[in-house]
Amino acid sequence: MLDNHLEILNGCFCLLGGYVLEIKGVSKCYSNGKKQALKEVTFHIKAQEFVALLGQNGAGKTTLINILGGNVKKDGGSVKIAGLDLDSQELLTKRKIGIVPQEISIDFNFTVLEILKFQSGYFGKRFDKKYAEYLLEKLSLSDKIHVRGRFLSGGMKRRLLIAKALIHDPEIIILDEPTAGVDIELRHSLYLFLQELKAQGKTIILTTHYLEEAEKLCDRIIMIKDGEVIADESKQTLLNKYATGQMIKIECEKGFDPKSSILNGYDLKIVERELSIQFHKSELSSVLEKLTKLPVILETLSISQSNLEDVFLHLTRKGGELNDTFL
Amino acid sequence: MILFYNPYGMWTLMKREVHRFMKVYVQTLISPLISNLLYLAIFGGTLSSRHVTIGHVGYLKFLVPGLCVMGVIFSSFQNPSFSIVAHKFQNTIMDFNSYPLSNFEKLVGFVFGGTCRGIIIGGVTYGATIPFAGAWIAHPILFFLSLGLVGITFSSIGVISGLYVKTFEGTNFFLSIVLTPVTYLAGVFFQVSSLPGVLSHIALLNPLFPLVSCVRYMYLGVSEGNILVNGIYAVVVTVFFFAAAYYFIKKGVGLKY
Repeated sequence: MLDNHLEILNGCFCLLGGYVLEIKGVSKCYSNGKKQALKEVTFHIKAQEFVALLGQNGAGKTTLINILGGNVKKDGGSVKIAGLDLDSQELLTKRKIGIVPQEISIDFNFTVLEILKFQSGYFGKRFDKKYAEYLLEKLSLSDKIHVRGRFLSGGMKRRLLIAKALIHDPEIIILDEPTAGVDIELRHSLYLFLQELKAQGKTIILTTHYLEEAEKLCDRIIMIKDGEVIADESKQTLLNKYATGQMIKIECEKGFDPKSSILNGYDLKIVERELSIQFHKSELSSVLEKLTKLPVILETLSISQSNLEDVFLHLTRKGGELNDTFL
Repeated sequence: MILFYNPYGMWTLMKREVHRFMKVYVQTLISPLISNLLYLAIFGGTLSSRHVTIGHVGYLKFLVPGLCVMGVIFSSFQNPSFSIVAHKFQNTIMDFNSYPLSNFEKLVGFVFGGTCRGIIIGGVTYGATIPFAGAWIAHPILFFLSLGLVGITFSSIGVISGLYVKTFEGTNFFLSIVLTPVTYLAGVFFQVSSLPGVLSHIALLNPLFPLVSCVRYMYLGVSEGNILVNGIYAVVVTVFFFAAAYYFIKKGVGLKY
């Protein structure tokens, strides 16, 4: 009874546009005491946001997800999921989240259908076969419904993990590298599906090493480095702030020395006949003008904008190896 | 302490645990049944043809409850312990932390599966002995209830073992180095008091002895020791191991890091 009231209250809370996930000062140090996996991590996520949680290997992303999933005990801080405290209302919070883990975790002895049936039941929900079929269709697993877990390929197992995480219709979906080992075609169909889930009102948190994936799908980027949040902005703000560089690549005649030309002063790199010119985006027109004045025949020309990958490298790389001109 | 939060989830885990051993029934049901029948044929057949009796009971009749309880012990231990280790092997063990199930419900789910498998083995073993030893049981309902009690005890031990060990080798080690000798020395095949000298007194301290003795009493109507003492002891042992398994789950041993 009390649970029902709490559920209704928190449903209203989410409708009012509150945070569905509030992480405040969360810390975790693994038992040997040598590795501080998370240091006072704080951020909030609003309902229906699509957030990318990015960081290098070992940055602390999976530890954070494991804390949300109940696999890791945090040392300090607080977590609220849909307004419910993870420590004092742990069981209530579990229905709100669906987690796609990084590692394959499939019951090898059961069929896809049985796995989904049990998964739904564990969350206290009667099995909705139509919804399961919808998920399997979206994840291109419809023809594998009676196949045992052990006989699925790596990519199929990964897609089944997504179906498992969604079968209880959670409000928040956390995907820890969901597309690792999934081929390009299926990856794109998965992107469409994730966008569809967002349109249905789900809040999605994605960790991935494919940064174009995050750039394409997410509204907001949170970057973690060595257990600390180093960036938390909307994708556009982050790109406007850091991805200010542009690059022109041209193919020119053999023997051309750009450093003795009017291009001297820009960041130049020449590999055989391909010349790369990096500059701030405000300089585009002047660079183009100078190119037309070069005493060489330009065979090809391409312009590229710095992207999230460059921003990521800029923010996470140690020792300032980054070429700041491009950014 | 929340006992029941998500009964449907618990029921799902119970069904899953039963479904798991039914899927591999040759390994989980047929194989132990054949072993028990071989014991019956070898010990029972050989000794009963020589008209060996224990107390006033023929050896074959004496052996039946011992074989039933042995089947229950091994099967109810193996079901949760192998199931949990398999979850570790498949990485699905971590899923249990994300399910809205109370620790009690998780424990009941695993213990139910083990107890069911144990009672099925015990029941089928009894059924298979009917042509040789007859169908008569002194206290039929209490006989199956006491098998259930043994099942709960060893399922709980199986849960502890499953959570504690990391590999199937660990489970097999516990099974062959600890459980098998203790079971054999608990009076499954013989009367403990018939052991020579001080050994008979030591054997009475075997924690499994009162459980075997209880089951035998329910089957034959007579057994070694005081049935009331053994009965109370059996209940205490069951409660102790069930509580210990609950403590392991609550602490997150093998589940959380």
